[in-house]
Amino acid sequence: MRVPFEWLCELTGIEASVDDVATRLTNAGFEVGAIHRAGEHWDRIVVGEVARIDSHPNADRLNLPTVNTGSEEIQVVCGAWNFEVGDRIAFAPAGARLWDPYADEPVLKELKPTRIRGVVSRGMLCSTKELGISDDHEGILVLDPDAPLGRPLAEALGGEVLEFELKANRPDALSVLGIAREAAALYGAEVRSPIPDERPSEDGSSRPVELSIDDPALCARYSAALVHDVKVGESPAWMRDRLEQAGVRPISTIVDATNYVMLELGQPLHAFDWETVRGGFIGVRTPRPGERLVTLDGQDRELTPETLCIVDAKGPVALAGVMGGLDTEVTDKTSTVLLESATFDPISIRRTAHRLNLRSEASRRFEKGLPPELTVLALRRCVQVIEEIGAGRGEFLTADAYPAPSDPTPVSLAFDRIERLMGVAYDRSEVRQALSALEFGLEEDGDELCVTPPFWRRDVSAPADVVEEVARLVGYERIPDTLPTGQVMDVAPGEIDERDDEARDVMAGLGFAECVTYALTSEARMARLVPPDLLDASPDAPLGDADAWAAVRETAMNDAGRTLTDRLLPLDREPLRLRNPLSMEENALRLTGLGTMLETLRANRRHADRDLLLFDYQPSFLARDGDLPEEPNFLTAVIGERVSADRWNETGTVELPFVRGVVDELLARSGVPTDQASHDDLQHPTFAAGAAAAVTVEGRLLAAYGEVDAEVAAAFDLDERAWALLVDMPAVRAASSGAPSFSAWSEYPSALRDLAIIVDAEVTQAEVQETIQRAGRPLLQSARLFDEYRGEQIPAGKRSLAYALSYAAPDRTLTDKQADRAHNRVVRALQHRLGAELRG
Amino acid sequence: MQKQLDALLDAARAELAAAADNAALEQWRVTHLGRRSEVTGLLRSVGSLAREERRAAGQAANAARRDLEAAFEARQAELRRSADGAQVDVTMPGYPVRLGSLHPLTRTLREIRRVLAPLGFRAVSGPEVEWDRYNFELLNIPADHPARDMWDTFHIHDKARPGELLLRTHTSPVQARVMEQIQPPVRVIVPGKVYRYEDRSAKNEAEFMQVEGLAIDEHITMADLRGTLTHFVRMMFGPDRELRIRASYFPFTEPSAEADMSCHACGGKGCSVCGGTGWIEILGSGMVHPKVLADVGYDPDVYQGFAFGMGVERIAMLKYGVTDIRSFYRNDLRFLRQLR
Repeated sequence: MRVPFEWLCELTGIEASVDDVATRLTNAGFEVGAIHRAGEHWDRIVVGEVARIDSHPNADRLNLPTVNTGSEEIQVVCGAWNFEVGDRIAFAPAGARLWDPYADEPVLKELKPTRIRGVVSRGMLCSTKELGISDDHEGILVLDPDAPLGRPLAEALGGEVLEFELKANRPDALSVLGIAREAAALYGAEVRSPIPDERPSEDGSSRPVELSIDDPALCARYSAALVHDVKVGESPAWMRDRLEQAGVRPISTIVDATNYVMLELGQPLHAFDWETVRGGFIGVRTPRPGERLVTLDGQDRELTPETLCIVDAKGPVALAGVMGGLDTEVTDKTSTVLLESATFDPISIRRTAHRLNLRSEASRRFEKGLPPELTVLALRRCVQVIEEIGAGRGEFLTADAYPAPSDPTPVSLAFDRIERLMGVAYDRSEVRQALSALEFGLEEDGDELCVTPPFWRRDVSAPADVVEEVARLVGYERIPDTLPTGQVMDVAPGEIDERDDEARDVMAGLGFAECVTYALTSEARMARLVPPDLLDASPDAPLGDADAWAAVRETAMNDAGRTLTDRLLPLDREPLRLRNPLSMEENALRLTGLGTMLETLRANRRHADRDLLLFDYQPSFLARDGDLPEEPNFLTAVIGERVSADRWNETGTVELPFVRGVVDELLARSGVPTDQASHDDLQHPTFAAGAAAAVTVEGRLLAAYGEVDAEVAAAFDLDERAWALLVDMPAVRAASSGAPSFSAWSEYPSALRDLAIIVDAEVTQAEVQETIQRAGRPLLQSARLFDEYRGEQIPAGKRSLAYALSYAAPDRTLTDKQADRAHNRVVRALQHRLGAELRG
Repeated sequence: MQKQLDALLDAARAELAAAADNAALEQWRVTHLGRRSEVTGLLRSVGSLAREERRAAGQAANAARRDLEAAFEARQAELRRSADGAQVDVTMPGYPVRLGSLHPLTRTLREIRRVLAPLGFRAVSGPEVEWDRYNFELLNIPADHPARDMWDTFHIHDKARPGELLLRTHTSPVQARVMEQIQPPVRVIVPGKVYRYEDRSAKNEAEFMQVEGLAIDEHITMADLRGTLTHFVRMMFGPDRELRIRASYFPFTEPSAEADMSCHACGGKGCSVCGGTGWIEILGSGMVHPKVLADVGYDPDVYQGFAFGMGVERIAMLKYGVTDIRSFYRNDLRFLRQLR
């Protein structure tokens, strides 16, 4: 809401500076977002008079006005035609600075003499947009004929405009009078109400107006006034200036007068051409089946049953509170006008305005709930304004329907309630003074205070509301700083698990950079996690493709790997979709963060060739029938192909065991020791065949990791191998054995034995390890793999594995013999069970 | 024998200092530590000594040998360092260290939690996909209330319960969730992601992080709110920060207040960070609306308290001097490493 400062001052008589007023209103809850100072940049712009208008010799669409600036005459080239000889205009000579009307962002440009189609232009007649007064760039601004010739424009037009960011609970503040009431209360000034006193209506001269309200719940009050001898034309300059400063475009006398009163008092008014209203009747009701209305914007609208309408004897003539009808519009032929001033149901108006996307200054006010008392006051003021500008003469009130009058409800509270809530004492006299200044009615009964809000303050309905009024009027600076005392909580429901922090720390320690990614994604982005050839899809399908996910779900259902990873990579599920996405590229909530993370990997690959280790630890969204979705925190990590090795420019290539090392450490730190989790080959369309594993504990999936399928990587525009790790952290927690427990080690020296064996390639390391562990009991302390070899020295179909074994007894130093005996048992078991050969 | 050893050591050390290249060094090693060296000879001869002398002589000879070995290694390292006449260049960069990083939002959230934990605030979380009931109705924002315009909302397709599922627009629904489950005292903060149906720009995100604070008991006042917030901004932005609160409106608090802190960049004189005003708006707050308390089953005549909510990105932007909120979600490693 834009409020011209001089208008505000006129209604209060406050003489403080605009900055002081803005600060005090802001602190009291009426936030001034900006102070626009019209004229701030008008250092050389003056009031000029059009002395002569010549035609341009070389261009029909241009003319050549000569401007008298009071001291000289200057000829300019002009493309606008909305002025005549003798008009006073805002004249900018060369050197003045003006807002560039064609720039996207506000830019001030210095005006220079230019030659336009062969004629030199030494200045400019300004539009309101170039002056920074409004966005209107149609035609130049014609000033009041009394504007002082040759004087700086700021004297004629300048002034500050306060722009308020108003809150939803104060419809009264959507008016200059409302703001004036607040300002007056803060400054201890009197409000100078612009509303005239009642006057008796002239009898007989007007035709009667019959009013009917079908449902008082939808229209609490409807008041109307007739205005005769209407003259539709341009409003006087003072009114146009105020409207423009308040951000409303002047149109013509009657419309301007209704807008002016809406700005001043907050009550939207509508003007009907009374001659076009059929049957001398105005009703408020919902439409009958099949009723239509052509609205002011020329649209022929079918009216849905819930749309509140204004009707005449034959049918709808306006959408109540939202938009008028074309047939009853006031035109320059109109001679009699019916002014409507009504109180409509806020919810009904809000729904209609939203549904039709027709939100206006009027509907914004109705939505917030206007007091019925205001209708007749606004009518009086509007008729007075119309008469003042010579646009007609009328009655203050011709007809009024107010079926169920209601008064504001008093609120009672104990005086000490204020201190109890605020934590600071207020004198009773301060309380009285604050509430009286805001025009609240007060009654006291001992320690009880009974407060009756003025009719425009229906937002005040409970004791806490009254406390706020007192506190903000006295000023929040009264409130001291104390800290809450008393008990703390024993239980915090939904407390954030500290292990979430630990998991992040572990990943950061392992070299990963934490990312925070968007939860919104597109189905097509997730669909890229399946190789396009499996989907019969184009690898270049756009991210906004809505059908992409359906294809994923139709492909390769019941695949064992997919079933196992159903939670982590839920390719068989439906994502939650937005009803109103910002774009199709983010139309759904993610089932997995992997797509987004592969995109992030790709984006970083553009400027880095190594050490791309990224992780994200945010929820995925898994729908549940009839309930909120599950939002498990999944850890998603991606790794680029190369990582730094020992020296400056050495890099190594990431292989599966690199990722395995990360998994083992993360799981161990989360309470799942390496030897408790099994890692099995994972067949899954997202991962490369033979280079992925699933980690389970007792059949429940904890993690999946591996090399990203080359086609999938290519779909994300990656030009090298990529690795991914997905961890279901809630599942890890569930499998966790809790805090690690201590087990003592032998204090006696260990006997070390190396072991290199050759086994069939199908024999897994896990089998070898398990065999060693079992056969080595009880003396074997550890068996660490230190090499794997396949190649020339080993027969085809075989591989060599080498381990460092450590033996010790808890109570003595082992002799060589004892250690050898234990080691031989291990060797025999390997030979026997796995067909292993000792390697020489 | 000790004398003999001392003489031997002195001579050997002198020769070692004179050995200027690897060849001389090797020659020295053969002479003084080789199989035919004097020390070796002495060690061998220990066996021929009288039984009572053997132990002391053996120890002395061994000590001498160790001394010589150590001197040799030291000289060897010295020569290696000065090889080619070059000293070690300590300005060489270190080998790459692969230590990762926490996201600046994670770090900021942790700091917020660390500041408020000593005041008794426990960090809790709640769902990001919410029912309309928790996101709006239980916060005194009924359907079709104009205050709903304060939160542009993403709605979720749901055939079974159309219009009820949405992406939470603030962390405030967790207020109601916590209060439904326990009786006062309540003192929690709620960090988490929130969503607004709003085009992304340098200033506005469609997804961002908030931290909500809630304290309910029999006697918690607006002064307690102000004191908590003052402590918070001083811990986060320095002990010289001043807090200003001013009246505002939120449907779920009454009275409501917006809080500004004196600009940490200019100390309140006015600069580009604070738009010349000397103040920076950092959060919204107020005393929990009696209706909100009553709706979760608390008696508003007995219990009262405060709530506040702030944008984590905003705090992080102020702390780190970030000017585009979208930077936090681009996850560019150059950004993440700078703010690690």
